[in-house]
Amino acid sequence: MSEKPESYEVAVERLEQIIDRLDSGQAGLRETLDLCREGRDLVTYCTGELDAVGEGLKELRLDELAARLDTEAA
Amino acid sequence: MGEALEQSSLDGGAALAAGEAGSASGPDLPGPFGVGRYARKLQEEMRRRARVLLIGEVTGVGRSKVQAYFELRDGEGAVPCAIWLDDLEKAGLPEGALRDGAEVVIAGGPDYYPGGGHASPSFSFRTTHVRLAGEGDLLARLDALRKALEREGLFELQQQLRRPLLPKAIGVVTAEAGAARRDLLAGLERRGWGGTVVWAFAPVQDRHAAPAIAAAIQGLAAQPRVEAIVVTRGGGSLADLWAFCDETLCRTVAMLRVPVISAVGHERDSTLLDDVAAVACSTPTHAAEAVVPLDCRAARVGLGRSLAALGRAADGAVRARTPHLVALAGGPGRALRRERLALNQKTREIRASSERGIAERLGFQRRVAGVVLERAARRAAGAEAERRRAALHRAEVALRAHEPEHTLARGYALVEDGQGEPVTDRAAAAAAGHVRLRFADGTVGAEIEESK
Repeated sequence: MSEKPESYEVAVERLEQIIDRLDSGQAGLRETLDLCREGRDLVTYCTGELDAVGEGLKELRLDELAARLDTEAA
Repeated sequence: MGEALEQSSLDGGAALAAGEAGSASGPDLPGPFGVGRYARKLQEEMRRRARVLLIGEVTGVGRSKVQAYFELRDGEGAVPCAIWLDDLEKAGLPEGALRDGAEVVIAGGPDYYPGGGHASPSFSFRTTHVRLAGEGDLLARLDALRKALEREGLFELQQQLRRPLLPKAIGVVTAEAGAARRDLLAGLERRGWGGTVVWAFAPVQDRHAAPAIAAAIQGLAAQPRVEAIVVTRGGGSLADLWAFCDETLCRTVAMLRVPVISAVGHERDSTLLDDVAAVACSTPTHAAEAVVPLDCRAARVGLGRSLAALGRAADGAVRARTPHLVALAGGPGRALRRERLALNQKTREIRASSERGIAERLGFQRRVAGVVLERAARRAAGAEAERRRAALHRAEVALRAHEPEHTLARGYALVEDGQGEPVTDRAAAAAAGHVRLRFADGTVGAEIEESK
């Protein structure tokens, strides 16, 4: 993947476009293989994004978070 | 002097202001009057003003032996009020109803207490009747406020914000001990979402609530990680939810660049916060779905399907073209082998027949015939070879036109056996044992490890 997608929704939208194009059967061999490679990269990215929020809910309090950021800034 | 006081009355402000630029000995104005008389005059004027009904929020309630004091305020200002305890009793309010944060309607008019030997003078709104503001009063105020904010275009601002499909961190403003907190968490977990929740706890139902909620929301919005904010509390009467109709709070939310999801009260409750927020939800559970629009479990299943579809498309595209490429790639080799076999066969036949001719027949004629036969055979073989070479050349041209090297250049490799034959299936690979992998830039040997 040359560039990281801007966001999960952008990645999913592009992935849907790719699958529609492949399903149309109009893509040649080269385009098909390029699209498949791009699609796999997008799936990898999206899976990574889901993994980032897949390890159990974490809870913070705003006052603690703010205090921590102040400490880090100091 | 009395007349002069009457004439100068209490609207002498303009004269006073004009006179301020006067001489050092003082401006040229009526008087001086005795201040006590002036104070009583002030009291009379105040009491002449029309009696009215006021609506607002009670703050700073205090009591003396004979009176109760409080301020009545709203977003625009306040008036100090006093009510005789007798009148308060006649109002028949529930016990403790005249408390900080209560929305009330009062009747009365302005009054001025000129003070006494030991008592300080004071202004107050002499309240003769008081009742708690009903839904109707609050709805009327809410309606006016709603129209004002809508006219200013404050309802659209949040709705125009992009809401992330899959935020990694969200902020939540709610009461620390409320059921709303638990419901929201349950909703998030049902979505399979395990990101970060930043809590900003705030009172959700008294006169401190609105400023505290506004501060909490601003605090969360200032955190770069927080991608969306939920404001939630359980149901209640409109008076209970009044903090969420606070004008300052709602203006604050409207101007934020982080989307705010309002989930205050139940379905029938509608607060001003609902109007300015990006999304209004009827329950904390719905708020969970609005703040994390993606159902993470379903999304994982969807990605699995996408991956399978991509795999099928790639395999299908290659497989549809493979037999053709393989046939072209194998063609020249097969033609050469056929050629070699045919030539060998002919050579053997010729040698056999010529040996037979020398051994069995000694006659010249026969030797000549043998030589003739051999020559004829060689000619025949040469013609056949020529024809095959031409066919081979045509096949090579066709093959080059299809350029299987392009496929290799894209990173594919062709598997060949020891004889240079393509290995196109598992069984053949297992049988070959040792294979050659042909890449665009050359060939390497490889061993087939398992054949199960």
